[in-house]
Amino acid sequence: MLLADELPYALMAAAKTPRLLAELQALTLWHQQHCPAYRQLVMAQWPEFSVNSGDSQQSAGNLAQLPYLAVRLFKQLELRSVATEAVFKTLYSSGTTGTPSRIFLDRDSAAVQSKILVKIMQHWLGKARLPMLILDHPGVISDRSSFSARGAGIQGLSFMGRNHCYAFNADMSLNWPALEQFVDNYGDGPVLLFGFTFMVWQHLLHALKQSGRRIHLPEGILLHSGGWKKLEDQAVSNQQFKQTVAELTGITRVHNFYGMVEQIGAIFVECSSGHLHCPVYADVLVRRPGSWEVADVGETGVLQLLSTLPRSYPGHSLLTEDRALLLGEDNCSCGLPGKYFRILGRLPQAEARGCSDTFAPAIQRKDLSEAQAETQTGAAL
Amino acid sequence: MSFTVLNPATEPAMLNAPFAPEDFTYCQALSEALLKDPQSREYPDLIALGFWLRQANLKPLLAPYQLQDFFRQPLGLIFHSAPANVDSLFVYSGILSLLCGNRNVIRLSSRSGGSTAILIDKIGHLASEFPAQNARFQLIQCSYDSPQLTALIAEVDGRVLWGSDQAIQAQRQLQMPAHARELSFGHKFSLCLLGAEALLQADDTQFQQLLQLFYRDQLTFSQQGCSSAKAVLWLGENAQVQQAQQRFWPAFTELVAQKQPLNASEQYQALANAQQLIMSSGTQLSLSQRQTISRIKIIELEPIFIRHHQGCGLFLELALADLTLLNPMLTQAHQTLTVWGVEPGMLKNWLSTVHTGLDRVMPVGQALSFSPHWDGVNLIEQFSRKVVCLL
Repeated sequence: MLLADELPYALMAAAKTPRLLAELQALTLWHQQHCPAYRQLVMAQWPEFSVNSGDSQQSAGNLAQLPYLAVRLFKQLELRSVATEAVFKTLYSSGTTGTPSRIFLDRDSAAVQSKILVKIMQHWLGKARLPMLILDHPGVISDRSSFSARGAGIQGLSFMGRNHCYAFNADMSLNWPALEQFVDNYGDGPVLLFGFTFMVWQHLLHALKQSGRRIHLPEGILLHSGGWKKLEDQAVSNQQFKQTVAELTGITRVHNFYGMVEQIGAIFVECSSGHLHCPVYADVLVRRPGSWEVADVGETGVLQLLSTLPRSYPGHSLLTEDRALLLGEDNCSCGLPGKYFRILGRLPQAEARGCSDTFAPAIQRKDLSEAQAETQTGAAL
Repeated sequence: MSFTVLNPATEPAMLNAPFAPEDFTYCQALSEALLKDPQSREYPDLIALGFWLRQANLKPLLAPYQLQDFFRQPLGLIFHSAPANVDSLFVYSGILSLLCGNRNVIRLSSRSGGSTAILIDKIGHLASEFPAQNARFQLIQCSYDSPQLTALIAEVDGRVLWGSDQAIQAQRQLQMPAHARELSFGHKFSLCLLGAEALLQADDTQFQQLLQLFYRDQLTFSQQGCSSAKAVLWLGENAQVQQAQQRFWPAFTELVAQKQPLNASEQYQALANAQQLIMSSGTQLSLSQRQTISRIKIIELEPIFIRHHQGCGLFLELALADLTLLNPMLTQAHQTLTVWGVEPGMLKNWLSTVHTGLDRVMPVGQALSFSPHWDGVNLIEQFSRKVVCLL
């Protein structure tokens, strides 16, 4: 049985890790056989695991030894492990500025991705589809010209709800009539709310506070994603965010989640103790910049993501550009097994000091990282 | 973006005789302002510039140009477009042009970093004491599509474009008068040649000195200056080269570990860039990575390396049994060759056979030193007119 057939938080490390290693090992071979550029990389950087090395080929003894790919390579190169004809869907990380990542999915990969996303979400939301309040404006999906990963994220998650209602007008002001009607119709029962972290803060919570009004959704579950950078700039902590949500909406179940378009489906959801948790399909490692050795628990480093899902592109082991620290494994106070960790924001863009590349306008570069942080999670759905 | 003059002129800009004493005095004053300011210490490029601007340096540098059998006259109005990267570079070409008697307008990138801010401040402070020089050394910021810039370029007698190939092409859209000349300094790629045998024979003092000089060339600007080497060429027989590498790299890695010139983002960039080059290469490369230094063994200098190598502690390595093997790999983009441990006679013989590529050959340690000869062009000659008089 594959890990993909398990429930999302069913396994402790002793049961999960050997199976994860075996599946990732198999993917490392698969991608070498089907993506020539990836084969070249493994041969160059991890020759002991290369398919080219014939009889002397070794297997990784633990997760840390597995080859990994810098996530920005999906912006620079077209990386596929399926034939062009088999590509069913191409995902892009960012629509407006910079070069977007391109992720190629065949039918099977797309199906597995949705299946796993549903499984994870059902753990948190239950099996029934709930009335859904989308904390954005309807144009984010319908307006093709601004269709972004944000739109894709909302579309992906809409699938988990019914009777969708958009809470904002096109100018991101609160759409009071729509909001009141949603609360009247469904406010007594369980409902699902979803939005991007900063939008929730700025356009729902801040707007409620400004107008002195509140909504009451005591059985609501709020999912949000997209990164804390803008909130950190305003010195808003996760705890403060949750407190404000509770005060202004009556919602006490709030879950942030983390993921990226380059590793779709197996997202990392915040548990009741406030920690991002690995599902059985995925795992994380934190590495020290420079030596790239695995960091100790509690030590800040660069986050590596492992996922058993990516088969149509070599994305099963990725070195992200996010700083993070591992908090523990199988011992979170929420009771769920698996590794749990904290994201500490992006590595700053390395400053261009060379004679090359001095042309990209300043504004684009500056906005790039934020725009990406915001949209990457969206497109992970 | 608007068109901003950072050090407004208080009097009309007038051409001057080349190498005028008052222009040297201006340079000396700028040098003192830079060297005296404690802020400069954080910027190795400012310290280097401060020393370069001293009269004691500039006068001997320019002396050979003053004893000639023709009249030298300024070219006129020169526009300089500075790159955002090596912040102080614009001053070198701007000052040489000033000393040639020209009026200069220098466009600074809006992305310019900390050392440029200090320079702007110093130059602004000298304006009242040196109104004539200040008027001939105008710093501006503006976008490429600014109407004032278009009008300015339509009047220049020459322009100097520094920056990426893309930036240079973009600026060429603006028309100059027919008689005007253009100097362009685009994207370049530099190399370091090390003699394996000499390295193995070097005593500890010589070896430590080499490490320091190599470090200065390569890591002062995170290996991103166009004259910092991105590829290391080892001259020698295979076994010798391997031994030399085994002596060199662990010691160099240790030096880098002590000095820690690269931040986490740059270290990430080196790794990601190494992977990019490996995956884009037409040949199978191999990577060895130790602490913050990544080395890629290559078989030839591929064009993708020129375009995509981003520095930050990533060294391509090529072993050469014979220098002539290099000739077919060199292109116009290959700029500086820094050399250590190679017999000069043999090197010069070989250089005479290099018809494409390489603009300057320097000892290791002097990759970043500025000279009036840049990318194969003599700036003094280009910034002036030779008036021949046969009476």
